[in-house]
Amino acid sequence: MAKVLVIADIKQGALKGSTAELLSKAKAIGAEAAVVAIGSNLEALIPELANAGSDTQYIADDPGLELFSAGPYASCVVDAANQFGADLIWFSFSESGKAASPRVAAQLGAACATEITDVILNGDQVEIIRPAIANKVKQRVKINAERLVAVVRAGAFEATEGISGTENVVRLATPAADVKAVIKELISDATGEIDLADADIVISVGRGAKDQTGVDLIRALADDLGAGFGSSRAMVDGGFMAHNKQVGQTGKIVAPTLYMAMGISGAIQHLAGMNGSKVILAVNKDPEAPIFNVADYGIVGDLFEVVPLLREEIKKIRS
Amino acid sequence: MKILTTIKKVVDVELTINVEAGAIVEDGLQYVMNAWDENAVEATVQLKENNNAETTMVSIGGGEDNTKIIRRGFAMGIDNGIQIDDPTLTEADSSVFARVLQKVYEKEGYDLIITGKQAQDTDNGQTGIMLAEYLAIPCVSNVIAIEVLDDQHISVSRLGDNGTEIVALELPAVVTVTDSINEPRLPGMRGLMMAKKKKIDVMDLSALGTSFEEVGGTALKSEIVEFMKSETREAGQKFEGDAADITAKVVDLLVNEAKVL
Repeated sequence: MAKVLVIADIKQGALKGSTAELLSKAKAIGAEAAVVAIGSNLEALIPELANAGSDTQYIADDPGLELFSAGPYASCVVDAANQFGADLIWFSFSESGKAASPRVAAQLGAACATEITDVILNGDQVEIIRPAIANKVKQRVKINAERLVAVVRAGAFEATEGISGTENVVRLATPAADVKAVIKELISDATGEIDLADADIVISVGRGAKDQTGVDLIRALADDLGAGFGSSRAMVDGGFMAHNKQVGQTGKIVAPTLYMAMGISGAIQHLAGMNGSKVILAVNKDPEAPIFNVADYGIVGDLFEVVPLLREEIKKIRS
Repeated sequence: MKILTTIKKVVDVELTINVEAGAIVEDGLQYVMNAWDENAVEATVQLKENNNAETTMVSIGGGEDNTKIIRRGFAMGIDNGIQIDDPTLTEADSSVFARVLQKVYEKEGYDLIITGKQAQDTDNGQTGIMLAEYLAIPCVSNVIAIEVLDDQHISVSRLGDNGTEIVALELPAVVTVTDSINEPRLPGMRGLMMAKKKKIDVMDLSALGTSFEEVGGTALKSEIVEFMKSETREAGQKFEGDAADITAKVVDLLVNEAKVL
Protein backbone atom coordinates (compact mmCIF):
# COMPACT_ATOMS: atom_id res chain seq x y z
CA MET A 1 0.00 0.00 0.00
CA ALA A 2 1.39 3.37 -0.99
CA LYS A 3 1.85 5.90 1.76
CA VAL A 4 1.01 9.54 1.16
CA LEU A 5 2.15 12.33 3.46
CA VAL A 6 0.23 15.57 2.97
CA ILE A 7 1.66 18.82 4.28
CA ALA A 8 -1.17 20.68 6.01
CA ASP A 9 -1.87 24.02 4.37
CA ILE A 10 -2.27 26.41 7.28
CA LYS A 11 -2.73 30.11 6.75
CA GLN A 12 -3.21 32.61 9.54
CA GLY A 13 -3.99 29.79 11.93
CA ALA A 14 -6.69 28.21 9.77
CA LEU A 15 -6.54 24.91 7.91
CA LYS A 16 -7.20 25.44 4.21
CA GLY A 17 -9.59 23.28 2.21
CA SER A 18 -6.77 22.07 -0.02
CA THR A 19 -5.55 19.76 2.78
CA ALA A 20 -8.75 17.69 2.63
CA GLU A 21 -8.54 17.71 -1.19
CA LEU A 22 -5.07 16.15 -1.14
CA LEU A 23 -5.98 13.65 1.57
CA SER A 24 -9.10 12.69 -0.41
CA LYS A 25 -6.97 12.01 -3.47
CA ALA A 26 -4.58 9.91 -1.37
CA LYS A 27 -7.45 7.73 -0.21
CA ALA A 28 -8.96 7.62 -3.70
CA ILE A 29 -5.76 6.02 -5.04
CA GLY A 30 -5.87 3.50 -2.20
CA ALA A 31 -3.02 4.95 -0.17
CA GLU A 32 -2.51 5.23 3.55
CA ALA A 33 -2.73 8.93 4.40
CA ALA A 34 -0.93 10.99 7.02
CA VAL A 35 -0.64 14.72 7.49
CA VAL A 36 2.16 16.87 8.85
CA ALA A 37 1.29 20.23 10.39
CA ILE A 38 4.06 22.77 10.96
CA GLY A 39 3.63 26.01 12.88
CA SER A 40 2.73 27.42 16.24
CA ASN A 41 -0.41 26.95 18.38
CA LEU A 42 -1.62 23.98 16.38
CA GLU A 43 -3.32 22.06 19.22
CA ALA A 44 -6.83 23.21 18.31
CA LEU A 45 -6.34 22.11 14.70
CA ILE A 46 -5.65 18.43 15.50
CA PRO A 47 -9.26 17.17 15.33
CA GLU A 48 -9.71 19.10 12.10
CA LEU A 49 -6.55 17.54 10.65
CA ALA A 50 -7.94 14.08 11.38
CA ASN A 51 -11.37 14.96 9.99
CA ALA A 52 -9.76 16.18 6.80
CA GLY A 53 -8.93 12.53 6.08
CA SER A 54 -5.66 11.67 7.81
CA ASP A 55 -5.01 8.62 10.01
CA THR A 56 -1.75 9.90 11.48
CA GLN A 57 -0.96 13.51 12.36
CA TYR A 58 2.68 14.54 12.63
CA ILE A 59 2.74 17.78 14.59
CA ALA A 60 5.65 20.23 14.71
CA ASP A 61 4.30 22.88 17.07
CA ASP A 62 6.71 25.49 18.36
CA PRO A 63 6.71 29.31 18.67
CA GLY A 64 9.93 29.25 16.60
CA LEU A 65 7.96 27.80 13.69
CA GLU A 66 5.36 30.56 13.63
CA LEU A 67 7.04 32.50 10.83
CA PHE A 68 7.82 30.50 7.69
CA SER A 69 11.45 29.60 7.18
CA ALA A 70 12.06 27.11 4.37
CA GLY A 71 14.95 25.26 6.06
CA PRO A 72 13.27 24.22 9.33
CA TYR A 73 9.95 23.73 7.52
CA ALA A 74 11.60 21.27 5.11
CA SER A 75 13.35 19.52 8.03
CA CYS A 76 9.97 18.85 9.68
CA VAL A 77 8.61 17.38 6.44
CA VAL A 78 11.68 15.16 6.00
CA ASP A 79 11.37 13.97 9.61
CA ALA A 80 7.68 13.10 9.19
CA ALA A 81 8.30 11.47 5.78
CA ASN A 82 11.00 9.23 7.25
CA GLN A 83 8.98 8.28 10.33
CA PHE A 84 5.91 7.51 8.21
CA GLY A 85 7.88 5.83 5.42
CA ALA A 86 6.09 8.01 2.88
CA ASP A 87 6.36 7.17 -0.82
CA LEU A 88 4.50 10.27 -1.94
CA ILE A 89 4.86 13.65 -0.25
CA TRP A 90 2.34 16.26 -1.33
CA PHE A 91 2.25 19.98 -0.75
CA SER A 92 -0.74 22.18 -1.54
CA PHE A 93 -0.15 24.94 -4.02
CA SER A 94 1.45 27.64 -1.88
CA GLU A 95 4.62 29.71 -1.70
CA SER A 96 5.81 27.65 1.26
CA GLY A 97 5.22 24.44 -0.70
CA LYS A 98 7.10 25.79 -3.71
CA ALA A 99 10.01 26.87 -1.47
CA ALA A 100 10.21 23.69 0.62
CA SER A 101 9.51 20.93 -1.93
CA PRO A 102 12.87 21.05 -3.80
CA ARG A 103 14.70 21.01 -0.44
CA VAL A 104 12.75 18.00 0.77
CA ALA A 105 13.35 16.21 -2.54
CA ALA A 106 17.08 16.96 -2.44
CA GLN A 107 17.36 15.71 1.15
CA LEU A 108 15.41 12.53 0.47
CA GLY A 109 16.97 11.86 -2.94
CA ALA A 110 13.41 11.95 -4.23
CA ALA A 111 11.98 13.11 -7.53
CA CYS A 112 10.35 16.54 -7.43
CA ALA A 113 7.36 17.70 -9.45
CA THR A 114 5.56 21.01 -9.11
CA GLU A 115 2.01 21.92 -10.11
CA ILE A 116 0.87 18.35 -10.68
CA THR A 117 -2.75 17.85 -11.72
CA ASP A 118 -2.94 14.08 -11.46
CA VAL A 119 -1.15 11.05 -10.06
CA ILE A 120 -1.42 7.61 -11.66
CA LEU A 121 -0.35 4.52 -9.74
CA ASN A 122 0.30 1.41 -11.77
CA GLY A 123 1.62 -1.21 -9.38
CA ASP A 124 4.87 0.31 -8.13
CA GLN A 125 5.13 2.67 -11.07
CA VAL A 126 4.13 6.27 -10.38
CA GLU A 127 3.31 8.75 -13.11
CA ILE A 128 2.16 12.31 -12.81
CA ILE A 129 0.49 14.79 -15.13
CA ARG A 130 1.44 18.45 -15.01
CA PRO A 131 1.03 21.50 -17.22
CA ALA A 132 4.07 23.25 -18.72
CA ILE A 133 4.91 26.17 -21.01
CA ALA A 134 2.38 28.51 -19.44
CA ASN A 135 -0.31 25.82 -19.54
CA LYS A 136 -0.03 25.32 -23.29
CA VAL A 137 0.97 21.68 -22.99
CA LYS A 138 0.75 18.89 -20.46
CA GLN A 139 3.54 16.49 -19.55
CA ARG A 140 3.17 12.87 -18.51
CA VAL A 141 6.16 12.18 -16.29
CA LYS A 142 7.44 8.81 -15.12
CA ILE A 143 8.93 8.82 -11.63
CA ASN A 144 12.10 6.72 -11.39
CA ALA A 145 13.09 7.59 -7.81
CA GLU A 146 11.60 5.63 -4.94
CA ARG A 147 9.90 8.70 -3.56
CA LEU A 148 8.10 11.63 -5.10
CA VAL A 149 7.77 15.11 -3.64
CA ALA A 150 5.06 17.07 -5.41
CA VAL A 151 3.25 20.39 -5.25
CA VAL A 152 -0.37 19.95 -6.33
CA ARG A 153 -1.85 22.60 -8.55
CA ALA A 154 -4.73 24.58 -7.04
CA GLY A 155 -8.07 22.98 -7.78
CA ALA A 156 -6.58 19.75 -9.20
CA PHE A 157 -8.11 17.37 -6.64
CA GLU A 158 -11.57 17.41 -5.09
CA ALA A 159 -12.41 16.74 -1.48
CA THR A 160 -14.50 13.61 -0.99
CA GLU A 161 -17.72 14.44 0.79
CA GLY A 162 -17.93 12.90 4.24
CA ILE A 163 -14.23 12.02 4.35
CA SER A 164 -12.95 11.31 7.83
CA GLY A 165 -9.86 10.02 9.60
CA THR A 166 -8.63 8.92 12.97
CA GLU A 167 -6.67 10.85 15.54
CA ASN A 168 -3.19 9.44 16.05
CA VAL A 169 -0.80 12.21 16.98
CA VAL A 170 2.98 11.96 16.63
CA ARG A 171 4.94 14.94 17.98
CA LEU A 172 7.97 16.02 15.97
CA ALA A 173 11.11 17.47 17.50
CA THR A 174 11.60 21.16 16.71
CA PRO A 175 14.40 21.56 14.17
CA ALA A 176 17.19 24.09 14.63
CA ALA A 177 16.52 27.56 13.27
CA ASP A 178 18.29 28.54 10.05
CA VAL A 179 20.95 30.91 11.39
CA LYS A 180 22.09 31.83 7.88
CA ALA A 181 18.65 32.92 6.68
CA VAL A 182 17.01 34.78 9.52
CA ILE A 183 13.50 36.08 9.09
CA LYS A 184 13.51 39.58 10.54
CA GLU A 185 10.00 40.67 9.89
CA LEU A 186 6.72 39.66 8.30
CA ILE A 187 4.78 42.48 6.74
CA SER A 188 1.41 40.76 6.88
CA ASP A 189 -0.89 41.12 3.91
CA ALA A 190 -3.89 39.94 5.91
CA THR A 191 -6.63 42.36 4.95
CA GLY A 192 -9.67 40.60 6.28
CA GLU A 193 -10.66 40.04 2.67
CA ILE A 194 -11.48 36.54 1.51
CA ASP A 195 -8.41 34.60 0.37
CA LEU A 196 -8.35 34.13 -3.42
CA ALA A 197 -7.71 30.40 -2.98
CA ASP A 198 -10.88 29.98 -0.91
CA ALA A 199 -13.27 32.08 -2.97
CA ASP A 200 -16.04 30.50 -5.07
CA ILE A 201 -16.10 33.65 -7.14
CA VAL A 202 -12.98 35.63 -8.02
CA ILE A 203 -13.21 39.05 -9.64
CA SER A 204 -10.00 40.46 -11.08
CA VAL A 205 -9.26 43.96 -12.16
CA GLY A 206 -7.08 44.88 -15.12
CA ARG A 207 -5.69 47.88 -16.93
CA GLY A 208 -9.16 48.78 -18.19
CA ALA A 209 -10.03 49.98 -14.68
CA LYS A 210 -7.45 52.75 -15.24
CA ASP A 211 -7.06 54.03 -11.66
CA GLN A 212 -8.25 53.88 -8.06
CA THR A 213 -11.78 54.94 -9.01
CA GLY A 214 -12.06 51.95 -11.33
CA VAL A 215 -10.54 49.61 -8.76
CA ASP A 216 -13.00 50.79 -6.09
CA LEU A 217 -15.92 50.39 -8.47
CA ILE A 218 -15.03 46.74 -9.09
CA ARG A 219 -14.18 46.09 -5.45
CA ALA A 220 -17.77 47.07 -4.61
CA LEU A 221 -19.03 44.32 -6.92
CA ALA A 222 -16.66 41.83 -5.24
CA ASP A 223 -18.01 42.94 -1.84
CA ASP A 224 -21.61 42.46 -3.02
CA LEU A 225 -20.82 38.89 -4.04
CA GLY A 226 -18.43 37.98 -1.22
CA ALA A 227 -15.96 37.34 -3.99
CA GLY A 228 -12.18 37.20 -3.86
CA PHE A 229 -10.66 40.33 -5.39
CA GLY A 230 -7.68 39.70 -7.67
CA SER A 231 -5.63 41.62 -10.16
CA SER A 232 -3.71 41.48 -13.39
CA ARG A 233 -0.01 42.29 -13.33
CA ALA A 234 -0.61 45.76 -14.78
CA MET A 235 -2.61 46.97 -11.78
CA VAL A 236 -0.05 45.56 -9.34
CA ASP A 237 2.79 47.29 -11.19
CA GLY A 238 0.69 50.44 -11.26
CA GLY A 239 0.52 50.33 -7.47
CA PHE A 240 -3.26 49.96 -7.34
CA MET A 241 -3.34 46.38 -6.08
CA ALA A 242 -1.15 44.42 -3.66
CA HIS A 243 1.37 41.85 -4.93
CA ASN A 244 -0.50 39.03 -3.27
CA LYS A 245 -3.59 39.76 -5.36
CA GLN A 246 -1.87 39.07 -8.67
CA VAL A 247 -3.45 36.19 -10.56
CA GLY A 248 -1.22 34.52 -13.12
CA GLN A 249 1.66 32.21 -13.85
CA THR A 250 3.90 34.08 -11.46
CA GLY A 251 1.29 34.90 -8.85
CA LYS A 252 -1.77 33.12 -7.57
CA ILE A 253 -3.27 30.27 -9.51
CA VAL A 254 -7.02 30.12 -8.97
CA ALA A 255 -9.77 27.80 -10.12
CA PRO A 256 -13.04 29.24 -8.77
CA THR A 257 -16.56 28.39 -9.89
CA LEU A 258 -16.87 31.80 -11.49
CA TYR A 259 -14.03 34.07 -12.58
CA MET A 260 -14.81 37.60 -13.69
CA ALA A 261 -12.09 39.36 -15.68
CA MET A 262 -12.74 43.09 -15.60
CA GLY A 263 -10.80 45.15 -18.11
CA ILE A 264 -8.17 42.41 -18.47
CA SER A 265 -6.84 41.87 -21.99
CA GLY A 266 -5.77 38.29 -21.29
CA ALA A 267 -1.99 38.00 -21.55
CA ILE A 268 -0.79 34.40 -21.63
CA GLN A 269 0.73 34.76 -18.14
CA HIS A 270 -2.62 35.84 -16.72
CA LEU A 271 -4.54 33.09 -18.51
CA ALA A 272 -2.18 30.49 -17.04
CA GLY A 273 -3.36 31.55 -13.59
CA MET A 274 -7.10 31.33 -14.16
CA ASN A 275 -7.99 29.17 -17.14
CA GLY A 276 -8.86 26.28 -14.84
CA SER A 277 -11.90 28.25 -13.61
CA LYS A 278 -15.25 26.58 -14.16
CA VAL A 279 -16.95 29.57 -15.78
CA ILE A 280 -15.27 32.74 -17.02
CA LEU A 281 -16.97 36.08 -17.60
CA ALA A 282 -15.00 38.82 -19.32
CA VAL A 283 -15.81 42.49 -19.63
CA ASN A 284 -13.62 44.43 -22.02
CA LYS A 285 -13.97 47.41 -24.34
CA ASP A 286 -11.88 45.75 -27.04
CA PRO A 287 -13.87 43.04 -28.86
CA GLU A 288 -10.57 41.54 -30.06
CA ALA A 289 -9.09 41.14 -26.54
CA PRO A 290 -7.64 37.62 -26.16
CA ILE A 291 -9.55 37.16 -22.90
CA PHE A 292 -12.69 36.60 -25.02
CA ASN A 293 -11.06 33.46 -26.49
CA VAL A 294 -11.29 31.74 -23.11
CA ALA A 295 -14.39 33.42 -21.70
CA ASP A 296 -17.68 31.50 -21.56
CA TYR A 297 -19.51 34.81 -21.48
CA GLY A 298 -18.18 38.07 -22.83
CA ILE A 299 -19.51 41.58 -22.54
CA VAL A 300 -17.96 44.03 -24.99
CA GLY A 301 -18.28 47.32 -23.22
CA ASP A 302 -16.84 49.94 -20.92
CA LEU A 303 -16.53 48.49 -17.44
CA PHE A 304 -17.36 51.88 -15.92
CA GLU A 305 -20.77 51.48 -17.50
CA VAL A 306 -21.13 47.69 -17.19
CA VAL A 307 -20.07 47.14 -13.57
CA PRO A 308 -22.80 49.35 -12.01
CA LEU A 309 -25.32 47.55 -14.26
CA LEU A 310 -23.96 44.17 -13.12
CA ARG A 311 -24.37 45.21 -9.49
CA GLU A 312 -27.94 46.30 -10.15
CA GLU A 313 -28.88 43.10 -11.98
CA ILE A 314 -27.29 40.92 -9.31
CA LYS A 315 -29.07 42.84 -6.55
CA LYS A 316 -32.35 42.23 -8.39
CA ILE A 317 -31.88 38.47 -8.58
CA ARG A 318 -30.64 38.25 -5.00
CA SER A 319 -33.59 40.14 -3.50
CA MET B 1 31.26 40.71 -4.38
CA LYS B 2 31.20 37.97 -7.01
CA ILE B 3 27.80 37.17 -8.42
CA LEU B 4 26.84 34.15 -10.53
CA THR B 5 23.60 34.49 -12.46
CA THR B 6 21.95 31.57 -14.22
CA ILE B 7 20.16 32.07 -17.51
CA LYS B 8 18.15 29.58 -19.53
CA LYS B 9 17.02 29.47 -23.11
CA VAL B 10 13.26 28.82 -23.32
CA VAL B 11 10.72 28.56 -26.08
CA ASP B 12 8.90 31.84 -26.72
CA VAL B 13 5.65 31.19 -24.84
CA GLU B 14 3.75 33.76 -26.89
CA LEU B 15 3.90 31.46 -29.92
CA THR B 16 1.56 28.57 -30.66
CA ILE B 17 2.97 25.29 -29.38
CA ASN B 18 2.03 22.21 -31.36
CA VAL B 19 2.25 18.65 -30.11
CA GLU B 20 2.54 15.64 -32.38
CA ALA B 21 3.01 12.00 -31.39
CA GLY B 22 3.78 12.92 -27.80
CA ALA B 23 6.46 15.47 -28.63
CA ILE B 24 6.57 19.21 -29.10
CA VAL B 25 6.90 20.18 -32.75
CA GLU B 26 10.21 22.06 -32.95
CA ASP B 27 9.50 23.56 -36.35
CA GLY B 28 8.69 27.24 -36.17
CA LEU B 29 9.58 27.62 -32.50
CA GLN B 30 11.65 30.56 -31.40
CA TYR B 31 13.79 30.80 -28.32
CA VAL B 32 14.38 33.65 -25.91
CA MET B 33 15.93 34.20 -22.50
CA ASN B 34 13.60 32.97 -19.75
CA ALA B 35 11.70 36.08 -18.60
CA TRP B 36 12.47 35.54 -14.90
CA ASP B 37 16.15 35.14 -15.78
CA GLU B 38 16.00 38.58 -17.39
CA ASN B 39 14.85 39.80 -13.98
CA ALA B 40 17.81 37.94 -12.44
CA VAL B 41 20.21 39.59 -14.90
CA GLU B 42 18.70 43.02 -14.23
CA ALA B 43 18.96 42.49 -10.45
CA THR B 44 22.60 41.44 -10.92
CA VAL B 45 23.49 44.45 -13.06
CA GLN B 46 21.83 46.79 -10.54
CA LEU B 47 23.92 45.22 -7.75
CA LYS B 48 27.01 45.70 -9.91
CA GLU B 49 26.15 49.35 -10.54
CA ASN B 50 25.50 50.07 -6.87
CA ASN B 51 28.00 47.79 -5.14
CA ASN B 52 30.87 47.22 -7.50
CA ALA B 53 30.24 43.51 -8.05
CA GLU B 54 31.98 41.19 -10.51
CA THR B 55 29.29 39.48 -12.52
CA THR B 56 29.26 36.15 -14.33
CA MET B 57 26.37 34.39 -16.02
CA VAL B 58 26.11 30.71 -16.83
CA SER B 59 23.83 28.95 -19.26
CA ILE B 60 23.49 25.23 -19.86
CA GLY B 61 22.90 24.29 -23.49
CA GLY B 62 24.38 24.59 -26.92
CA GLY B 63 23.53 26.11 -30.25
CA GLU B 64 23.01 29.53 -31.72
CA ASP B 65 19.94 30.34 -29.59
CA ASN B 66 21.89 29.73 -26.42
CA THR B 67 24.74 31.94 -27.58
CA LYS B 68 22.15 34.61 -28.38
CA ILE B 69 20.82 34.80 -24.82
CA ILE B 70 24.36 34.99 -23.40
CA ARG B 71 25.06 37.90 -25.78
CA ARG B 72 21.90 39.54 -24.50
CA GLY B 73 23.19 39.13 -20.95
CA PHE B 74 26.45 40.82 -21.97
CA ALA B 75 24.51 43.63 -23.59
CA MET B 76 22.50 44.12 -20.39
CA GLY B 77 25.76 44.53 -18.48
CA ILE B 78 27.04 41.15 -17.25
CA ASP B 79 30.88 40.91 -17.33
CA ASN B 80 31.57 37.21 -18.00
CA GLY B 81 29.72 34.40 -19.73
CA ILE B 82 30.02 30.65 -19.23
CA GLN B 83 28.26 28.18 -21.49
CA ILE B 84 28.01 24.53 -20.48
CA ASP B 85 27.56 22.86 -23.84
CA ASP B 86 27.33 19.11 -23.53
CA PRO B 87 25.11 16.96 -25.75
CA THR B 88 24.41 14.53 -22.89
CA LEU B 89 22.43 17.15 -21.01
CA THR B 90 19.49 17.54 -23.40
CA GLU B 91 17.15 15.30 -21.38
CA ALA B 92 18.34 16.30 -17.90
CA ASP B 93 16.04 17.16 -14.98
CA SER B 94 16.26 19.98 -12.40
CA SER B 95 18.41 17.93 -10.06
CA VAL B 96 21.00 17.29 -12.79
CA PHE B 97 21.08 20.98 -13.75
CA ALA B 98 21.56 21.86 -10.08
CA ARG B 99 24.49 19.41 -9.88
CA VAL B 100 26.06 20.96 -12.99
CA LEU B 101 25.63 24.46 -11.54
CA GLN B 102 27.17 23.21 -8.31
CA LYS B 103 30.32 22.35 -10.29
CA VAL B 104 30.31 25.77 -11.95
CA TYR B 105 30.05 27.39 -8.52
CA GLU B 106 32.79 25.26 -7.03
CA LYS B 107 35.20 26.00 -9.87
CA GLU B 108 35.40 29.73 -9.15
CA GLY B 109 33.56 30.40 -5.91
CA TYR B 110 30.93 33.14 -5.73
CA ASP B 111 29.30 35.18 -2.98
CA LEU B 112 25.82 35.26 -4.44
CA ILE B 113 23.90 33.20 -6.97
CA ILE B 114 20.84 34.78 -8.55
CA THR B 115 18.36 32.73 -10.60
CA GLY B 116 14.89 33.33 -11.97
CA LYS B 117 12.21 31.75 -9.75
CA GLN B 118 11.27 29.29 -12.49
CA ALA B 119 11.68 28.71 -16.22
CA GLN B 120 8.84 29.50 -18.58
CA ASP B 121 9.14 26.20 -20.41
CA THR B 122 8.98 23.76 -17.50
CA ASP B 123 7.51 25.99 -14.76
CA ASN B 124 9.36 23.77 -12.29
CA GLY B 125 11.02 26.33 -10.02
CA GLN B 126 13.37 23.76 -8.49
CA THR B 127 16.90 24.21 -9.81
CA GLY B 128 18.01 27.23 -7.77
CA ILE B 129 16.64 25.84 -4.52
CA MET B 130 18.20 22.40 -5.12
CA LEU B 131 21.51 24.06 -5.97
CA ALA B 132 21.54 25.77 -2.56
CA GLU B 133 20.67 22.46 -0.92
CA TYR B 134 23.56 20.67 -2.68
CA LEU B 135 25.95 23.49 -1.78
CA ALA B 136 24.58 23.58 1.79
CA ILE B 137 24.20 27.35 1.61
CA PRO B 138 21.12 29.42 2.50
CA CYS B 139 18.45 30.20 -0.06
CA VAL B 140 15.45 32.47 -0.33
CA SER B 141 13.00 32.06 -3.23
CA ASN B 142 10.39 34.35 -4.79
CA VAL B 143 12.39 37.47 -3.96
CA ILE B 144 11.21 41.00 -4.85
CA ALA B 145 14.07 43.09 -3.41
CA ILE B 146 17.77 42.65 -2.61
CA GLU B 147 19.79 45.01 -0.45
CA VAL B 148 23.49 44.59 0.33
CA LEU B 149 24.15 45.01 4.06
CA ASP B 150 27.90 44.32 4.14
CA ASP B 151 30.47 41.99 2.54
CA GLN B 152 28.93 38.96 4.18
CA HIS B 153 25.23 39.78 4.40
CA ILE B 154 22.30 40.80 2.26
CA SER B 155 18.70 41.52 3.14
CA VAL B 156 16.00 40.22 0.81
CA SER B 157 12.23 40.66 0.64
CA ARG B 158 10.27 37.58 -0.27
CA LEU B 159 6.62 37.21 -1.20
CA GLY B 160 5.35 34.48 1.11
CA ASP B 161 1.95 33.02 1.88
CA ASN B 162 1.19 35.50 4.64
CA GLY B 163 2.84 38.64 3.33
CA THR B 164 6.27 40.04 2.59
CA GLU B 165 9.04 38.37 4.56
CA ILE B 166 12.23 40.30 5.25
CA VAL B 167 15.13 37.85 5.54
CA ALA B 168 18.75 38.52 6.48
CA LEU B 169 20.99 36.17 4.51
CA GLU B 170 24.55 35.21 5.21
CA LEU B 171 26.66 34.89 2.05
CA PRO B 172 27.29 32.81 0.06
CA ALA B 173 23.63 32.32 -0.72
CA VAL B 174 21.15 31.60 -3.51
CA VAL B 175 18.34 34.01 -4.29
CA THR B 176 15.57 33.23 -6.80
CA VAL B 177 13.76 36.31 -8.08
CA THR B 178 10.26 36.92 -9.37
CA ASP B 179 9.17 39.43 -11.99
CA SER B 180 8.03 42.06 -9.48
CA ILE B 181 11.66 42.74 -8.53
CA ASN B 182 12.42 45.00 -11.49
CA GLU B 183 11.78 45.89 -15.12
CA PRO B 184 14.64 44.37 -17.17
CA ARG B 185 16.43 46.95 -19.32
CA LEU B 186 16.35 46.71 -23.09
CA PRO B 187 19.93 46.49 -24.29
CA GLY B 188 20.91 49.35 -26.59
CA MET B 189 22.45 48.98 -30.03
CA ARG B 190 25.91 49.82 -28.71
CA GLY B 191 25.64 47.21 -25.97
CA LEU B 192 24.53 44.58 -28.48
CA MET B 193 27.48 45.43 -30.76
CA MET B 194 29.95 45.22 -27.86
CA ALA B 195 28.39 41.93 -26.74
CA LYS B 196 29.24 40.32 -30.08
CA LYS B 197 32.95 40.80 -29.40
CA LYS B 198 32.90 39.31 -25.91
CA LYS B 199 34.38 35.89 -25.36
CA ILE B 200 32.12 33.14 -24.03
CA ASP B 201 33.80 30.51 -21.90
CA VAL B 202 32.41 27.31 -23.44
CA MET B 203 32.90 24.04 -21.58
CA ASP B 204 31.58 20.52 -21.71
CA LEU B 205 31.18 18.41 -18.58
CA SER B 206 34.72 17.04 -18.68
CA ALA B 207 36.19 20.55 -19.01
CA LEU B 208 34.06 21.42 -16.00
CA GLY B 209 35.76 18.58 -14.15
CA THR B 210 32.78 16.27 -13.91
CA SER B 211 30.87 13.63 -15.83
CA PHE B 212 27.32 12.84 -16.86
CA GLU B 213 27.25 10.09 -14.26
CA GLU B 214 28.54 12.30 -11.45
CA VAL B 215 25.81 14.91 -12.01
CA GLY B 216 23.16 12.20 -11.84
CA GLY B 217 22.47 12.07 -15.56
CA THR B 218 22.50 8.28 -15.71
CA ALA B 219 20.02 7.97 -12.85
CA LEU B 220 17.32 10.51 -13.67
CA LYS B 221 14.77 10.81 -10.88
CA SER B 222 12.00 11.44 -13.37
CA GLU B 223 11.53 11.39 -17.13
CA ILE B 224 8.97 13.02 -19.39
CA VAL B 225 7.17 10.20 -21.18
CA GLU B 226 5.07 12.36 -23.45
CA PHE B 227 3.70 15.80 -24.09
CA MET B 228 0.02 16.36 -24.66
CA LYS B 229 -1.82 19.40 -25.91
CA SER B 230 -3.70 21.10 -23.06
CA GLU B 231 -7.45 21.18 -23.29
CA THR B 232 -8.14 24.61 -24.66
CA ARG B 233 -11.17 26.57 -23.63
CA GLU B 234 -13.53 27.44 -26.42
CA ALA B 235 -14.60 31.03 -26.86
CA GLY B 236 -18.16 31.23 -25.56
CA GLN B 237 -20.89 33.76 -26.18
CA LYS B 238 -19.79 37.35 -26.69
CA PHE B 239 -22.32 40.14 -26.52
CA GLU B 240 -22.11 43.60 -28.03
CA GLY B 241 -24.67 46.36 -28.08
CA ASP B 242 -26.68 48.25 -25.50
CA ALA B 243 -24.84 47.83 -22.18
CA ALA B 244 -27.98 47.49 -20.06
CA ASP B 245 -29.48 44.86 -22.36
CA ILE B 246 -26.41 42.69 -22.70
CA THR B 247 -25.53 42.92 -18.99
CA ALA B 248 -29.03 41.75 -18.06
CA LYS B 249 -28.74 38.95 -20.62
CA VAL B 250 -25.37 37.77 -19.29
CA VAL B 251 -26.52 37.83 -15.65
CA ASP B 252 -29.52 35.75 -16.70
CA LEU B 253 -27.18 33.24 -18.38
CA LEU B 254 -24.90 33.09 -15.34
CA VAL B 255 -27.92 32.33 -13.15
CA ASN B 256 -29.96 30.02 -15.37
CA GLU B 257 -27.53 28.46 -17.83
CA ALA B 258 -24.18 28.28 -16.03
CA LYS B 259 -25.86 28.22 -12.59
CA VAL B 260 -22.94 29.95 -10.94
CA LEU B 261 -24.66 33.01 -9.45
